[in-house]
Amino acid sequence: MGFGDVHSKVLMLACALVVSGCAARQVTPVSMSQPGDDRLSCDALKAQTAANSAAEAGYRYKDKQVENGNALKTVGSAAPFVGPLIAGSTDLSNEEQVKARALADRNDELNYLAKRKGC
Amino acid sequence: MKGHILAVAGKLLAAGAVAAYLSGCASSADPHAMAVTDTPAAAGTTVKPFPAPLMHAMCVRNVTGGEKTNPLWVSKVDNDGFKSALDTSMTSAGLTATDAAACAYPVDVNLLGLSQPSMGFDMTVTSHVNYKVFNSSSEPFLLATIDAPFTATMSDAFMGVERLKKANEGSIRASISMFFDKLKDSEPK
Repeated sequence: MGFGDVHSKVLMLACALVVSGCAARQVTPVSMSQPGDDRLSCDALKAQTAANSAAEAGYRYKDKQVENGNALKTVGSAAPFVGPLIAGSTDLSNEEQVKARALADRNDELNYLAKRKGC
Repeated sequence: MKGHILAVAGKLLAAGAVAAYLSGCASSADPHAMAVTDTPAAAGTTVKPFPAPLMHAMCVRNVTGGEKTNPLWVSKVDNDGFKSALDTSMTSAGLTATDAAACAYPVDVNLLGLSQPSMGFDMTVTSHVNYKVFNSSSEPFLLATIDAPFTATMSDAFMGVERLKKANEGSIRASISMFFDKLKDSEPK
């Protein structure tokens, strides 16, 4: 087996690994409406809203980092040979964005419930 | 030596041309391909109807969260495209009000995002969408967070960008279909 054969097989294996490993991550956003919402006290609503706001800020920060990383990977994807590997590592799952937006909508619902309860 | 360099350059050019052909330019999801226009019943079953108060009494008020497609990047779903698809689907189902004044149940949509693969043979896209349906008193009567996956295969489209677009469209179609199922189970007040 010559060097060229080994080289081709390594390249094919790398491509197969890249292609198989590029599925989007499983993302589960928080639901706007949840069972038991009507039974939440004013204190519970306030505590949950504050926790959601903190988590949302964290996700928004991480989302910016992922966006910046993706921009760099897009530039790197033009590199010869390793370009496809770099392109394959781009994160298009939008996990942080989805979770941050879901938490904002969840808080809208919690604020609506608090208003309705006269909190 | 010179011949070897030319051969390598030729291979790189060919590889670049193939990559350019396979990647192509990304385009936005097609609103018609995202719309649900028929709900055939399975053999021996009947399609569950929508609650009577919703018929000809709904409209799409706001759609937010969509993204414009950058042709040099990947296919996305924009607000206008989603709104058009949902409008078409609701009209097809007999839900759309005849005019704005008759819209007793407005729908707001927030497209939280699309979870897309960066590459692959079978491409699965999951759309994450929040649907908010309000009644005539402006109170939400249905809040649905829907995660809808759809896989496009090589037989759907050979080119990667086109396959991803088809996966986006299928995912939004599945999302609207699941939203309709929630509407059918709802009790409008």
